[in-house]
Amino acid sequence: MARSSIAVAFAGSGGSGAMTAGAVFLRAAANAGYYGMMTELFGAQVRGGESAALVQVSTAPIQAQPERYDLFVALDWEKVEQFAAEIPLDETSLIIADPKAGAVPAGIAKSKGRVVALPMGDASASRLESALHARRVNMFATGAVSALIGLPATEVQAAIETIFADRGDAMTSANIKNAMAGIAAGPSLSLDVRLEPPVPANRWLISGNQAVALGALRGGVRFVGCYPITPATDLVEWLAPHLRDLGGRLVLAEDELASINMTLGASFGGTPAMTVTAGPGFSLMVEALGLAVAAEVPVVLVDVMRAGPSTGIASKTEQSDINLALYGAHGDAPRIVLAPMSVADCINTTEYAVYVAEERQSPVIVLSDQALGQATTVIDPVEARPTPLKRRTDGIPPGKPFKRYAIGADAITPMPPPGTPGHEWVAEGLTHNEAGLPASGAGAHVAQIKKRARKIASFDPGKLWGESWGEGDVAVLAVGSTIGPAREAAQRLAAMGREVRVIGLRVLSPLPLKSIAEAIAGASRIVVIEQNSGAQLYHHLIGQKAIPATAESVARSGPLPFLASEIASYVV
Amino acid sequence: MSEPVIETNRPDPHCVFSAKDFSSGAKPVWCPGCGDYGVLAALERGLVKLGRAPHEVVLVSGIGCSSRLPGYMSTYGFHGVHGRALAVATGLKLTRPDLEVVTVGGDGDGYSIGGNHFMHACRRNVDMLYVVMDNRVYGMTKGQPSPTTEPDWDSDIAPGGIGLRPFNPLAIAIASGANFVARGFSGDPNGLSDLIVEGIRWPGFAFIEVLSPCVTFRPEQRDWKGRVRPSTQSIEQDRATATARALGDDGFSLGVLFRGDRALNPGHADPTRTVAEIEQEFLLGARPAV
Repeated sequence: MARSSIAVAFAGSGGSGAMTAGAVFLRAAANAGYYGMMTELFGAQVRGGESAALVQVSTAPIQAQPERYDLFVALDWEKVEQFAAEIPLDETSLIIADPKAGAVPAGIAKSKGRVVALPMGDASASRLESALHARRVNMFATGAVSALIGLPATEVQAAIETIFADRGDAMTSANIKNAMAGIAAGPSLSLDVRLEPPVPANRWLISGNQAVALGALRGGVRFVGCYPITPATDLVEWLAPHLRDLGGRLVLAEDELASINMTLGASFGGTPAMTVTAGPGFSLMVEALGLAVAAEVPVVLVDVMRAGPSTGIASKTEQSDINLALYGAHGDAPRIVLAPMSVADCINTTEYAVYVAEERQSPVIVLSDQALGQATTVIDPVEARPTPLKRRTDGIPPGKPFKRYAIGADAITPMPPPGTPGHEWVAEGLTHNEAGLPASGAGAHVAQIKKRARKIASFDPGKLWGESWGEGDVAVLAVGSTIGPAREAAQRLAAMGREVRVIGLRVLSPLPLKSIAEAIAGASRIVVIEQNSGAQLYHHLIGQKAIPATAESVARSGPLPFLASEIASYVV
Repeated sequence: MSEPVIETNRPDPHCVFSAKDFSSGAKPVWCPGCGDYGVLAALERGLVKLGRAPHEVVLVSGIGCSSRLPGYMSTYGFHGVHGRALAVATGLKLTRPDLEVVTVGGDGDGYSIGGNHFMHACRRNVDMLYVVMDNRVYGMTKGQPSPTTEPDWDSDIAPGGIGLRPFNPLAIAIASGANFVARGFSGDPNGLSDLIVEGIRWPGFAFIEVLSPCVTFRPEQRDWKGRVRPSTQSIEQDRATATARALGDDGFSLGVLFRGDRALNPGHADPTRTVAEIEQEFLLGARPAV
C-alpha cells in the first residue's frame, strides 16, 4: 500500500557524497510535487568524517524531524555507526547496503531492521579499486531509492542537472548515468515503499538560513559584516553574491567584534545593516550590542544557535542562547528579540526584524537555530510583508543644537544620516545629554535610561507576537524549531481525541504579555518546551509573570531534536 | 598609478568654512597642556584646507582621552567602544563613500585592544584616514604603560617598567598594507594639518601617528618638542625599505614616510538584479543563475 510520507537516511564517510545524494533525492521529489525536508548530520572532521543526509518526503507539509527512518542507505560503513543515536531505526526499517561494503555494524544492526543487499556501482571493481579511483556510489543509491518510491527518472535527471549546473557537463552526465543505473536496479528489490501521488504546485526549496537571508534582503539590508562560524556560514555565503547583485556589500571581518562594529558603522550611515553569527560569535558581540542600545543605532543580529557553552558542538542544534539574547550586555540594555517559528517563517520574521530595528532605532536579535537554519525544506512561496517601517530621519525641530536624544513625548527621536546639513550629531556610547554630548550627571543618565526603556516597552507587534493553534485545556508553549514537533504532537493527540493547543512565540522580548494571556486563557495546564537544560525561556516567562507559577517546564539540552512523540507523551 | 596632485597649506578657494565652523564649542576634558589640543586644532585647520563642509565629515573614535575628540568638533561623529573605531569607520565608509571618514584615538585604543582591527584596516585599504594620538600611556585610567611605552617606564601597575619592547606602529602599518604612513607632532598643528590633508587626499588607508604628549602622567614628554625634527629623507614608495626605515628610526622624525600605490578597496557596485528576481532561485524546477 502506498504511503503518504517516507524518511530516508543516506549515510557514509566524509567524501562519500551522502549530502549530494540527499540533495538530489530531495530536489527530485520536490520537482515531482512532494513536500520535503533535509537536515545534515556531520562529525567534527572537516574532511573524512562521517556524514548523513536525513531526508523526509511527504504529500503534506513537514513540521518536524521524523521519529524513525524507513530507509537507511549506507554508502559505506566507515564510522557511520556513530550516528546510531541520531538516526533512529526499528525492526520495520530497511537497511540498504552493498554487501561489498562489509558487514552491517552492530550499532546499526541492533535495530533489527531488515538488511537489503543492493550491489551499487561497478560490480567488477574491488572495494580498494573503488576507493582508489574515488568511484562514488551516491548517485546510484539516489536513483535506486527514487525508483523505489516512484519518482520519475526525468525528475532525478533534472535535479542532477540543477545541482551540478556549475560543475561541467562531464560530471553531470557521469552522475546522471550512475543515477539511471540505480533507477534500473531499484525495482528489483521489490520493496513496498511507494509514495501516494503528490499534489504539485508552485513551491520553493529553501533552507532556514537562506530564508533568513532572503528576509533580510526583502527588509532592505544592504550591508552585512560577518565572520565565518558554523552553522551560520552558509547563510552569509549565500548572501555575499546576492548582496553584491543588489548593490550592497558583505564584509568578511577579522573577528565578530569587527563584524558588529562595521555593521553599526554602516547603519549609522543610513544603510539597513545586519550581522550574522552563532553563539561563540554572539558572546563577542554583546559589547557592541550595548553600544547599539546606548547610541540608539539600528542593527539586526542573527544568531543561528548551536550547542554550547564555549565551542560546544558547532554543527548541532540547541536553543541555549535565549538568556544571552535577552540579557547579554552590561548595564540596562533593553532590546527586541524575535524568533522565527518555522523555516518558512524565517523569511517574514527577519524581514520584520529589519523594519523593527529601523523604526525603533534598536538592536533586534533574530534567534534562529541550526535545526531551522540547516533544514532544506519545500515550502509554499512566502509573500513579502506589505508595509515597511522606516527609520525616522525627519521632523527635526528648529534650533541649535540638534537634540538627537531629546527627551519628549516620543521616545523615538529623529536620526538624520551623516551628510544632512545642519543636524550634525555624535552617536555616543557614554551616558549623554539630549544633544548627545557626554554627561555623567544622574539627571541625564536616568532620563536616557528611561527613554530607551520606553522605546522598547512601547513596541507593539500586534498580531505578529506569535501564533496559537487549536483549543484544548493543555497549552504547549514553544519557540523556534520546537514549535514544529509540538504542533505535530498536537495533531497526533487530536487524532486520538485529545485536544491540545500550541502557542508559538515570535516575540521573546519585550514579552507580548496581553497576547500570551489571551492565548493561554482557559488552559488548565501550561507546558513550556525548550531545548536547553536551564529552562531559559520558562524562567523568562515566569519572571515576567507571562505564565502562572503552576506552569510546567520541559527543558532539555540539544543536540537531539524534540520528537513529536516525546512531547505527546509528556502532555498526556 | 599616477601621483595625485597634493596641494597643501592653501585653503580651497571655494571653501567658505573657517576652523571655528568645525568646533562644537564643547570644553574638552583634557588637561591643560595636553597634546590633543594641538591635534584638534590641526584637524579643524586640515578640514578647512580640504574644503569639506562639517556635515560631510564623520569623526569616529573609541575610548580614551583622545577618543573624546569627536564631541569637540561640529561634524558628525561616532564615539563607540574601546578599540573598535576602525571597524565602525570601515562599515561607514564602504557604504557611504561620499563622506569624509576620519578615525581618531590613542595608542591604547588603537594598538592594544584595537590592535587586530588596526592591522586589518591597513590590510583592507579602505579610503579613509586614521590619526593616532600617541602619548605612550593610558591617561584616562591614570597612568598605565601602553604598547608604545618604553620598557623601563616606572608605574604603579608595572614597578620598575613593563620590560617589553614597544610596538612600532609605523612599521606595522606599512607591513600590513597601509597606503600612506606619516608621523606628526601635536606641537606643530600647521605641519600636522598638512599631513592630515595629504593623508585624506592620498587614495586608500592613510595612517598618521601623532606624538601627542601627556603632560600629566608623562611630564617628561614636554621634551619632545626639542627632539622632533623634520625627516631629511624622501618619501619611500617601496614597502620593504619603508618598513626597515620605520624599524630603524628613533621615533622623532616627522613627515610622510611611505606612500603606496595599492588599488582601492572597491566600494558599492550598481544593482544588477532585484530581490524579486533573486527569489526565483528558490522556485522548484528553476536552475540557479550562473
